[in-house]
Amino acid sequence: MASSTVLLVEDNDINRDMLTRRLTRAGLTVMTATDGASALDAMREHQPGVVLMDMTLPVLSGWEATAKAKSDPSVAAIPIIALTAHAMAADRERAMNAGCSDYETKPIDFPALLSKIYLFLGANNT
Amino acid sequence: MITARLGLRARLYLASAAILMLFAFNVGTHLWGSYARSESVMAYRIATEGTALVRSIQQGLATEYQRVQVLAALRETNAPIRIAQREQANAELSEISDQLRALGGLSDIETEAAFRDFYKFASTLLDEWVRFYRDYNDNSVPSRLDARLYGDATDSLQALADQQNSVALERSTIIDNTIQLTDRITIIGFVSSITITLILILTLIRTTNASLFRLRVGVERFGAGDLTHRIDENRDSGEIANLAQTFNEMSASLQRAMADLTDARAEAEAANETKSMFLANVSHELRTPLNAIIGYSEMLQDELSDGETLDRDQFHHDLTTIIFSGRQLLTLINDILDLSKIETGKMSVSYEPVNVAGLVVQVCDALSPLLAQNKNQLELDVVGAQNATMRSDAAKIQQILTNLFSNACKFTKNGVIKVTAHIDDAALRLSVQDNGIGMTEEQQSKVFQAFVQADSNTSVNYGGTGLGLAIVSSFCDMLGGSVTLSSAPGEGSRFEVSLPVVQE
Repeated sequence: MASSTVLLVEDNDINRDMLTRRLTRAGLTVMTATDGASALDAMREHQPGVVLMDMTLPVLSGWEATAKAKSDPSVAAIPIIALTAHAMAADRERAMNAGCSDYETKPIDFPALLSKIYLFLGANNT
Repeated sequence: MITARLGLRARLYLASAAILMLFAFNVGTHLWGSYARSESVMAYRIATEGTALVRSIQQGLATEYQRVQVLAALRETNAPIRIAQREQANAELSEISDQLRALGGLSDIETEAAFRDFYKFASTLLDEWVRFYRDYNDNSVPSRLDARLYGDATDSLQALADQQNSVALERSTIIDNTIQLTDRITIIGFVSSITITLILILTLIRTTNASLFRLRVGVERFGAGDLTHRIDENRDSGEIANLAQTFNEMSASLQRAMADLTDARAEAEAANETKSMFLANVSHELRTPLNAIIGYSEMLQDELSDGETLDRDQFHHDLTTIIFSGRQLLTLINDILDLSKIETGKMSVSYEPVNVAGLVVQVCDALSPLLAQNKNQLELDVVGAQNATMRSDAAKIQQILTNLFSNACKFTKNGVIKVTAHIDDAALRLSVQDNGIGMTEEQQSKVFQAFVQADSNTSVNYGGTGLGLAIVSSFCDMLGGSVTLSSAPGEGSRFEVSLPVVQE
């Protein structure tokens, strides 16, 4: 089980490229998906330690994918951090209601995101 | 109940009139009773006077009779009477005669015949006696006294007295009956007046109370928030119905005012919602390129401070991404400002003469670098608009064309972009056609909405903000025209703008 792997779900190529490189530089193993449905497949197959999920995704939105993940026992325990440019208070609530464990707005505060990722990965390992 | 259908004033008038009538009836029976009583007193007085007169006349006649009898006997002895004695006798006779007349005054229709009988005998008797006294000292006149006359007079007087008594008795019986009757009527009338008055007052109070209660219930229900409640105006008439009607009119206008307020509030809330949505969208759209700008800049900074060997190509590529995102942000801000002006109604149209062909050529020239970027060819056809001018807003036509042309350049690689302009008496037709990636029907249905692109990677792969076509559509509306789209995936898109011509 690759519990220290981070699954980054992001359909925007620039942002996906940028975050993948920064997380890799920080020493994390990063795998990517570009839509909600393939994210669910990747979660079931690779059991990542934490998922960074954009909310506005094609095929299956981040909210729908998160809700599906939380109702699937095989992946329900994997923490999901919502990454979104939707920055209103209601958006945070919507993400948390869908089952996200945490919420980060774009532009990303990278150190804060990193410490959240470590927090969830650490909780998985202990 | 009938009083409920009458107005308040009418009810009061009716009750007052009824009470006054009862009162007048009572007064009438009372007066009738009083009249009967005074009649009775009068009859009693007449009866008493009559009896006294009869008695006095009887006595006077008896006294005179005896005296005349005595004098008649004395006359045989030739004893003369003195003048004073004779005058006294005459006075007494005339007094009796007065009493006779007084008795005549007391007689009425029923006793008149008896009185006449008596009067005939009595006056003859008195005349005889007067002659007796007059001729008493004259011996040449023989004394002729009718012995029967006195008896007839006293008999007829007795008959008169009897008749008077019987008439008085009969009358007093009638009067007694009348008094009894009027007393009874007065008592019955009085008791029934009080009863009827009480019933009337109670009815008045009850019906008025019922009317007021309906009003109160109506006002209470309305006050409790049931704005549709109306008082039944047909249950009353007059003032209370007027009051109910006035209340209903007030209720209706209040209800309308409340409905207007509710509508206005809903509108204000909807407008507020739209504004919030707009702000949320703007925030979202600004954050997406900013995420790339800040993310790449921080990453490059990290790479520089880590002292790693720099991959120059990678570095150049990252800087290009930052610049691309920055430019995208600028376009976005400009578009948002335009859109916000359009949505708040602050975008105005300024009409001026527009040389259409020149304008089209100018826009295509300005965008030639964009055309070259994806190695596209331009086919320009402005023959249909050569030398033509129209009144319109040049800046808006320019932006419409710029947005359509740059879209065509972005979504087409190694292709051909056809721009045509054709003007006739009715309309200017501008078309921009490409043979690029095209759109599905679902994408076509959304592209004119603000903040919507064909898909979420469009801005990454092709740039743009998702506002360009919304602005094109709004500008076409403002200029009184329209924009249409025909497209298919992989076969390119064709946008056609039609603007009405105002001939120069």
